Amino acid sequence: MPSSTSSSDPQIRPVPALPWGRVLVTGILLTVVGLVCWEIYWRSQDFEPSFRNSDGLWAMTRNRIDREGPGGTAVVGSSRLLFDLHLEAWREETGTLPVQLALEGTDPRPFLAHLAQETDFAGLVLVGVAPPLFFTPDIGLRASLLEYYRNESPSQWASQRISMAVEPYIAFYSFDTALFTVLRRQTIWPERDVGSALPVVRKLSNMQITRQSPMWEKLEHDEAYRDMARSTWLEFLNMPRELPPPEVLKAGFENLLASVKTDVDTIRSRGGEVVFVRAPSTGPFREVENGGFPRERMWDVLLEHTGTLGVHFEDHPDLQDVEVPEWSHIRAGDTERWTRALIGHLRRGLDARGTSRVELKP
Amino acid sequence: MLFNSMTFVVFFAVVLALHHAPFGSWRIKKIQLLLASYLFYAAWNPPFVLLLWISTIVDWNVAKRIHTAETIGKRRGWMLASVLVNLGILGYFKYGGFLLANWVALMGSAGIEWQAPDWNIILPVGISFYTFQTMAYSLDVYLRRAEPSKSLLDFSLFVTFFPQLVAGPIVRPTDLIPQFAEKPAPRRGRFTWGLSLMVLGMFQKIVIADAALAPAAEKVFEAGGKLFWIDAWLGTLAFSGQIFCDFAGYSTTAVGAAMVLGFSLPNNFRFPYAAIGFSDFWRRWHISLSTWLRDYLYVPLGGNRKGPARTYVNLAVTMLLGGLWHGASWTFVVWGGLHGLYLGVERFIRERVGPTRLSNTLPFQIALAMVTYFLVNLTWVFFRAKEFDTAWRMISSMLTFGAGDRVLPGVEIVLVGFTIFAILFVHGRMREKRLEDVVARTPWWVTAIVVAFMLFATIITQGSNDAFIYFQF
Repeated sequence: MPSSTSSSDPQIRPVPALPWGRVLVTGILLTVVGLVCWEIYWRSQDFEPSFRNSDGLWAMTRNRIDREGPGGTAVVGSSRLLFDLHLEAWREETGTLPVQLALEGTDPRPFLAHLAQETDFAGLVLVGVAPPLFFTPDIGLRASLLEYYRNESPSQWASQRISMAVEPYIAFYSFDTALFTVLRRQTIWPERDVGSALPVVRKLSNMQITRQSPMWEKLEHDEAYRDMARSTWLEFLNMPRELPPPEVLKAGFENLLASVKTDVDTIRSRGGEVVFVRAPSTGPFREVENGGFPRERMWDVLLEHTGTLGVHFEDHPDLQDVEVPEWSHIRAGDTERWTRALIGHLRRGLDARGTSRVELKP
Repeated sequence: MLFNSMTFVVFFAVVLALHHAPFGSWRIKKIQLLLASYLFYAAWNPPFVLLLWISTIVDWNVAKRIHTAETIGKRRGWMLASVLVNLGILGYFKYGGFLLANWVALMGSAGIEWQAPDWNIILPVGISFYTFQTMAYSLDVYLRRAEPSKSLLDFSLFVTFFPQLVAGPIVRPTDLIPQFAEKPAPRRGRFTWGLSLMVLGMFQKIVIADAALAPAAEKVFEAGGKLFWIDAWLGTLAFSGQIFCDFAGYSTTAVGAAMVLGFSLPNNFRFPYAAIGFSDFWRRWHISLSTWLRDYLYVPLGGNRKGPARTYVNLAVTMLLGGLWHGASWTFVVWGGLHGLYLGVERFIRERVGPTRLSNTLPFQIALAMVTYFLVNLTWVFFRAKEFDTAWRMISSMLTFGAGDRVLPGVEIVLVGFTIFAILFVHGRMREKRLEDVVARTPWWVTAIVVAFMLFATIITQGSNDAFIYFQF
């Protein structure tokens, strides 16, 4: 009888007879040469090392809320507050660094609900409102992020930190330069009509460790790239959308208002405050937003129903005095001035309502 | 911990450095490997390490008692204890919700409204693999195929050995435990060949499965409506390539990682899409599971020793349970059932027709291989679809060449077409060969270029850190 301890003859795997030392050295050398060439190519395309806009970085940032206590400022929203808010300027103005939780292409309502229901956050919450995302039922691109956050494993936690040790040094270590992302966006492939697929948005910003995400300078300086970004937005804006019947839309909007009010009230009951911010858009974006989501029927109703302060860029010339290269986000150079102006409006607005916040004190 | 994660790169580098460091006895090295294996598993969900400890302690003690038991009744009792504990753990974590849902449905069909409690149990990763591996140890001792291990350390390492812990290959105790007894003798090229296999495995997973094929499979299987037949077929073909490269990629990486550490794991795949017939397919696909099912289920049920009718029943039961092993869903049972049916029909035809001059010709063999691949693809629809509605919709589009939605853009069609052609070409060419023999006949610099290309492509693909599909089993 074979023994599991000694007497059996386990199958020993064969090793091909090759000069493996030479294979190892040559293989490593070729790989390194390939990677260096790849890095040089992407740097020549104006890419620079930055942090990856990963679920893990969001989770790290989100953990600041538990670590730093119930006060402070948290930002939920979509790409506009993510790109437009200058976090260092905010810190200089108020003494604290906001927790930047805004997510591109994503409805902030589930994240407001998360702050209200799953934390004891009692500070100031800035909610960015991009009407096509906020007032529609789809959560958007990063819908699965909260699930990731709730179930992040020790391995994912560690991978995030190891990855961040590499990210600041390698330009090609970016979602935008991944091999198959690059392959799929080439124009050589046969055309095929597959209906209304969501257009793929190319790189627009460079993320920093605080999740400050200023617009990529290429959008300012490279006309062709800016035109391409604009054409992507046009594609997005012109997508056919099947709208539900008016009564369903109305009921959906009423439910939306009710759920947002519940979350606002929950945060307020702990001593916190919520404000809504409508950041600038221009060109076709603004036309579609104003046409499809009229301010008086959506934004104004939201503020009235929740009893909150809202800062809308159309009400303030200093919030409009910025360059918006691709119609949706402020150029990096204008974000500092815009952020300081926004803080001023928030202070005055809350003071006028008798709800001044310690988070905004100079 | 996923192989395709930053954490694993650092973890493996540290483990390797400690394992090959010139200090520390062999016993210390094994303790390091054991602790590393627990860490590897805990990196998903630390409390689940307890399950590994339970499996280890139960089967270590049960096997000893089976071995020393004086009566057949006692032997059988201890064997059943092992089976009950292992299948009990598996049943609770993996099949509890499934059984409850079916119980509720059964009661509902009898007009009884049954209120089931919530069953939000997290499935411990790889539980089906290590429970089967551990159970094999007690069963081997019960069936007098092996004696119990004399070293608890070696046995614990056998249960927990991290390269193959969560997705196989399911290793037999007689294959692995003896390798832990003594420090492996040095072998020229083992380290670099092991690393090369790891690169090949990661290339299969990250570049082919996740980046080239998964998006097409996902687009097709997640589409709501009826699909144009070409899209349905391409989505299914994409999944056939994805599941192979995902699972074989894991197995190859596991084999390579073990090899770098000085150990040998068996092959789990042998170019299965070149299979001619279904018994051939199952000698090439997930070999460690099919042989496990053969040795611990099919043969004990009587195998082919109890007459033709019983043989067909045994085959069907084995494949149905094999299907259920993959997942707690009726779609997996249908997947297993179809394979059981295929095997049964093949056996029936073989017994009556037998080999002919025509059946041995190359064109006939190629035609049979194509029929096999075609029928295997039909089963993948049930494997991939989350519910029967999707599966029927897909099958209907594929078999009726029906009209419907086009969901795959041109780029996905090109990627799937090219990749599947490449996979089938390689499987066809390698059908009767071993990778090691082909590499041995290849100039060293060609091997270096191929490995460097795969490593380079894997790094720049970056990977999405998607879990291996078989982890959920």
